Amino acid sequence: MIEIRGLRKKFGSVEAVRDVSFTANDGTVVGLLGPNGAGKTTTLRMLSGLMIPDAGTIRVDNVDVLADPVGVQKHMGFLPDSRGLYPRLTPIEHIEYFGQLHGIDGGTLRARATNLMAQLDLNGVANRRVAGFSHGERTKVALARALIHQPRNVILDEPTNGLDVMSTRSVREMIRRLRQEGCCVLFSSHIMQEVSALCDRIVVIAQGVVTADGTPAELRKLTGQDNLEDAFVALSGLEVEVTS
Amino acid sequence: MNALRQTWIVFEKELRDGRRDRRSIMSVLLVAALMPTLFGAMFTVMANRAKDADQIKLPVVGAENAPAFVDWLQQQSGVTVAPAPADPEEAVRSRKEDVVLIIDKDFSKDLARAVPAPVKLVSDSTRDSARRKVERVRTLVTAYSSQLAALRLIARGVAPALAQSVKIEDVEVSSAQERLAERLNILTLLLVIAAATGGMQVAIDTTAGERERGSLEPLLLNPVPRIVLAAGKWLAAAVFACSSVLFSLLLTVNVLRRVPWQDLGIRFRVSDADLMSLLALVLPLAFLLSAVVIFASTFARSFKEAQGYMGMLILLPLVPGVVSTLYPMANRPWLAPVPVFGQYALAADVLGGKAPGVALYILAGASALGCGIVLMALTSRLLSREAIIFGR
Repeated sequence: MIEIRGLRKKFGSVEAVRDVSFTANDGTVVGLLGPNGAGKTTTLRMLSGLMIPDAGTIRVDNVDVLADPVGVQKHMGFLPDSRGLYPRLTPIEHIEYFGQLHGIDGGTLRARATNLMAQLDLNGVANRRVAGFSHGERTKVALARALIHQPRNVILDEPTNGLDVMSTRSVREMIRRLRQEGCCVLFSSHIMQEVSALCDRIVVIAQGVVTADGTPAELRKLTGQDNLEDAFVALSGLEVEVTS
Repeated sequence: MNALRQTWIVFEKELRDGRRDRRSIMSVLLVAALMPTLFGAMFTVMANRAKDADQIKLPVVGAENAPAFVDWLQQQSGVTVAPAPADPEEAVRSRKEDVVLIIDKDFSKDLARAVPAPVKLVSDSTRDSARRKVERVRTLVTAYSSQLAALRLIARGVAPALAQSVKIEDVEVSSAQERLAERLNILTLLLVIAAATGGMQVAIDTTAGERERGSLEPLLLNPVPRIVLAAGKWLAAAVFACSSVLFSLLLTVNVLRRVPWQDLGIRFRVSDADLMSLLALVLPLAFLLSAVVIFASTFARSFKEAQGYMGMLILLPLVPGVVSTLYPMANRPWLAPVPVFGQYALAADVLGGKAPGVALYILAGASALGCGIVLMALTSRLLSREAIIFGR
């Protein structure tokens, strides 16, 4: 479970995140939806413990991220904005490296890695160096290594961004599987269809502020728009900007 | 989980990654192979020149003007009088000859009248390679002149010693081994270069490279202390640096044992124990220099930016080396705890045949490793900075 309260972060004079609060429960998929530059990545980076907020609290499974970042990281799978792989290593080596850093090894590690690669259709390239991999293959390797320690909380920053249909499908299946297993899944996106296809709840964020929080149906009701995309446009304040 | 075990995991990964990087392997092998070769070639040329000065072929113009002098020259060891070229000055200028002796046609007449008999020594002072040969010829001519002068004095009933008011007696205090050591200081410089460059590629790749690829952020998401990451990367870079030192030492020694030292009047005697002592000095330095590169490249966003810093950093170990060739550092054990300087100073003693005590090795090694650990602590703090984690 993830609880974020009153998060703020400033870079110089730019307030990237002004007031973000929301809760993501176990066994649900929460979508963090917002246009580019809304503060999604900054929010997630603070959640990962690598970026220190100017104000606000973040609790993951009742552990304060600021007080015990390592303790939180042990049970968190995080697919960051930068997928950064090692060009001279193979997918299996990537996955096993992160697994070992989490203290998993031997047969357990091998079995989990094989299982993840099968779920993400990576078996064909398992022993090939990742230099020259497609964007989709890279994302899937990054996702697999983020999940090797079977985290209870999974945070994905724009997981399907730039992926082809097949890769998108296997990533979506992975997200559904995680929800079934009772994980708390939080992912960010700027794509409406993505969010509506997967999420139990949507948190809309615009210019660093949460403008709406609810189920897809609630959001449609809130804005009076039948179409979720229209609801999104209304909530992110884009239309106002365009018309004014 | 145990921090040592995690360090080992990071180390193993970086080592494997480094081994697969052709540039890393090249940076170990190239320096290790290239430098000893150059080094060996340099000493062989020096030895050959020395030999040239001993075995000289001296072209003499006007040999018929001074048959006795020419006979005397012929009798000197290693001297062969050769027929003269048509144009002596041109022959020297065009490097056909190193030196030509011209005997004036009035030589015998002037000798008989006891006025200074003129000879000309044609040489080119800009030519380093001919210098020893020219000196040798000059010494020969002077020796002949003093011999004749002594005979003249005796003939007039004067003791030749009267003509010599001051007599210089050379007292050489350095041992032959120390004179060799002066030459061999370049060996230390070479090992230090290997220590500095061998791990550079891996050190940059695991820090600036990690940032450039965007793999630093995912790596830091693992529940691993920053110091563990820094230490694992450091050890991997140091392994490459140490291999480079080992390769280059083995190669250099093999090359040096083939240089004709006897022609330089030196006996090359660097024992295996001396080599082990050099390793004991330079290997900790390899750790320190790798740590310096890791720390500096953590500031760099990209491989290229880091390489830009390296041009400056390489001067760090080289400047003391160059200084040591100008101001010899032998017999300065108090330099031991100063990284880089200490290694040069103690190495000069080892090569000079005066092995420093074990305590000094430990002091020098501990100081280098200690500085390395401090740099890793600083690096691990850099790895917490948002500007470094996210700045690409």
